[in-house]
Amino acid sequence: MRLNIVFRYIGFVFLINAAFLLVAAMISIIYGDQALRPLLYSSIVTALFGVFPLIFVPPAKSITNNEGLVIIVSSWLLSCLVGALPYVLWGGEFSFTNAWFESVSGYTTTGSSILTNIEALPSGLLFWRATTHFLGGMGIIIFALSVLPSMGIVGMVLYRSEMSLLVQESFRQNVRTTLRILFTIYVGLILMETLALVLCGMNLFDALTHSFATIATGGFSSKNDSIAFYNSSTIETIVIIFMILSGMHFGLLFTAIFARSKDIYKSTVVRYYLLALIIGVIFTTNNLHGTQYQSWVDALRYGAFQIISIGTSTGFATTDSSVWPSLAKILLIFFALQCACAGSTSGGIKADRLVMFGKAVLKQLKLLQHPRAILAVRIDNKIFQDDILAMGILFICVYLSVVFIATIFLILLGVDLLSAFSGVVATTGNVGPGLGTVGSTGNFNHIPVLGKWVLTGTMLLGRLEIYGLIIFFLPYIWKTRTKR
Amino acid sequence: MKLRLKILSGFLILALMLSIAGVWSIYELKSIGTSVQDLLSDNYKSINASKMMIEALEREDSGLLLLLLGNWQEGRRIISSADSLFEAAFIIAANNITIPGEELYVDSIRIKYQAYKELWQGPIIDTQKQGNINWYFQTLHEPFLAVKTSVKNLGTLNDQFMFKTASELQSKANRAIMPGIVAIIAALVFTFLFNFFVNYYFVSPVIKITASIKKFLDRKAPFDARVETRDEIYDLAESISNLCNITKTQATEQ
Repeated sequence: MRLNIVFRYIGFVFLINAAFLLVAAMISIIYGDQALRPLLYSSIVTALFGVFPLIFVPPAKSITNNEGLVIIVSSWLLSCLVGALPYVLWGGEFSFTNAWFESVSGYTTTGSSILTNIEALPSGLLFWRATTHFLGGMGIIIFALSVLPSMGIVGMVLYRSEMSLLVQESFRQNVRTTLRILFTIYVGLILMETLALVLCGMNLFDALTHSFATIATGGFSSKNDSIAFYNSSTIETIVIIFMILSGMHFGLLFTAIFARSKDIYKSTVVRYYLLALIIGVIFTTNNLHGTQYQSWVDALRYGAFQIISIGTSTGFATTDSSVWPSLAKILLIFFALQCACAGSTSGGIKADRLVMFGKAVLKQLKLLQHPRAILAVRIDNKIFQDDILAMGILFICVYLSVVFIATIFLILLGVDLLSAFSGVVATTGNVGPGLGTVGSTGNFNHIPVLGKWVLTGTMLLGRLEIYGLIIFFLPYIWKTRTKR
Repeated sequence: MKLRLKILSGFLILALMLSIAGVWSIYELKSIGTSVQDLLSDNYKSINASKMMIEALEREDSGLLLLLLGNWQEGRRIISSADSLFEAAFIIAANNITIPGEELYVDSIRIKYQAYKELWQGPIIDTQKQGNINWYFQTLHEPFLAVKTSVKNLGTLNDQFMFKTASELQSKANRAIMPGIVAIIAALVFTFLFNFFVNYYFVSPVIKITASIKKFLDRKAPFDARVETRDEIYDLAESISNLCNITKTQATEQ
């Protein structure tokens, strides 16, 4: 392990963070608020740490897979640390644990918050909070690779280390084109949603911060009541559309827009993703009508928004879903576990793996009927070998184990079962709000300090698709350093 | 980049980090000092003036009761001194408007006190007002309570503002301490990083060069000390390599 090389590439990530901290500081100047000094100081310190390795370490021709993995995981962890800096310097509700929680929640695009009064924060900090979503949405390294000049083999190794195998498999283009697609769709959707929200009467600041949160499927709002603050069905409809789009495979969106390809309509995963959402909305609306809302329109309005918000792992709210009937709650938990498609900014198990799982179960059932049959799992003309299927199913098992273990931890710390389970599901899936005391109108402030650290751990595990973070802490990765 | 610049950049970054944190902490501490000063000079002065006005009003009320009982001398003496006390306190409050909207509270006191004063300025003894408890309750007591409430409101406003300022002091204190703490931690981390780079890029190559020269001298082994960076150490290694080659060639020729 060449630590000097690791430091050099983390330096780039630091510089990108510093640049965006500077932008937030400028927002602070424009709005004349008091967050300028925390943001500016954070920006300077981060920039200095970013520049220093670049002065000493010359560029590397290539890096090993282990070095790539260490760069990726370190970049996430250190970005979260850097992101917590302005919060810590600001004070108020931000103890170090709270600042770390808010920062991890931002970068991992979870959207869970410890803030009891979001609107009390100055605009500069609110912008920084939304920016952490923006940076984390694409993945901090993927973002860096998209905006920085080509890094050659190093860039390819970093790309492979950051992207899960599932996502890599889903893109047919080369690395450079894939990065361009991701960046174009990501920024394009943000600009389109911002424009649409401004046209609906939202001010530019709110429109931009909410667009960052929507397209990154984050869920941080600049308002205490989230989207409910605007009480506008037009704004809710726009947000719903962009939440659904953000949950789709960016490659398919790109080809649909720029190449007029119809692959997006033919994709089994996209079809399943949309069908699941539609069925979820129908069941929820039916369940809410007469129990929570007397009119069908209200039941559909609130039911659809919450299901799509959770089902895309965004986490915005228009109502308190904690008081919903049991069926609606269980549907929310299902969607918080599943989330949207691979190749999007969404978290969770992902629709692709559930489709894969369903097909694998069908294959197994057929094999029971015809033991000698040679069957293959095929999704959109692509055959999935048994090892890939096993990896997908194993991921689901490991994911659920993480949820189970973390829930036990929280219960041991005194958190009630519903809040603990739904909170862990929501943070591991990078969804945001859970149910009970951590519901859509609640927050995570009251969770014990240790519990907050457990939840930030699950957020990072979810964002790095579990294995990355676990491997980072395995000794063999670091032992290679001494061998070299 | 040259060695000198690399080393200088390390120290400059360290100095920059610490000095910015220092300047910020000083600024915040100065701001705390100003806030404390504001707290004492602005709010406390007005709160004290409010207390004096309430005290004066109570004494005026006692003086009026004495007049009602027919004790002219004692009554007028108390009323006169209480009125002077009220006016003095009012001037302090009127000259110490520091909170937005405080002027309205002061104006309200002035108007209501003027109205109240007009009620008792005229003669009371040997008029039908003397001993008339109904006149006291129906005419005097209401305006008295109105002035008192206005004065209390002014006090409450300043109390609330004082509490707010005191609360802000806590976060200001936090903001004064945090840059220092962050700078200390950052400086420590930076020192480790700097030390790592100095070891990796300066010390290790020098050790390698020394070892290679030693091998050359002892066993005539070819000079081989690879230096990653393009700085003075690289030039040194290149020069030594050339020197070794020349020495080796000369030795072979001899």
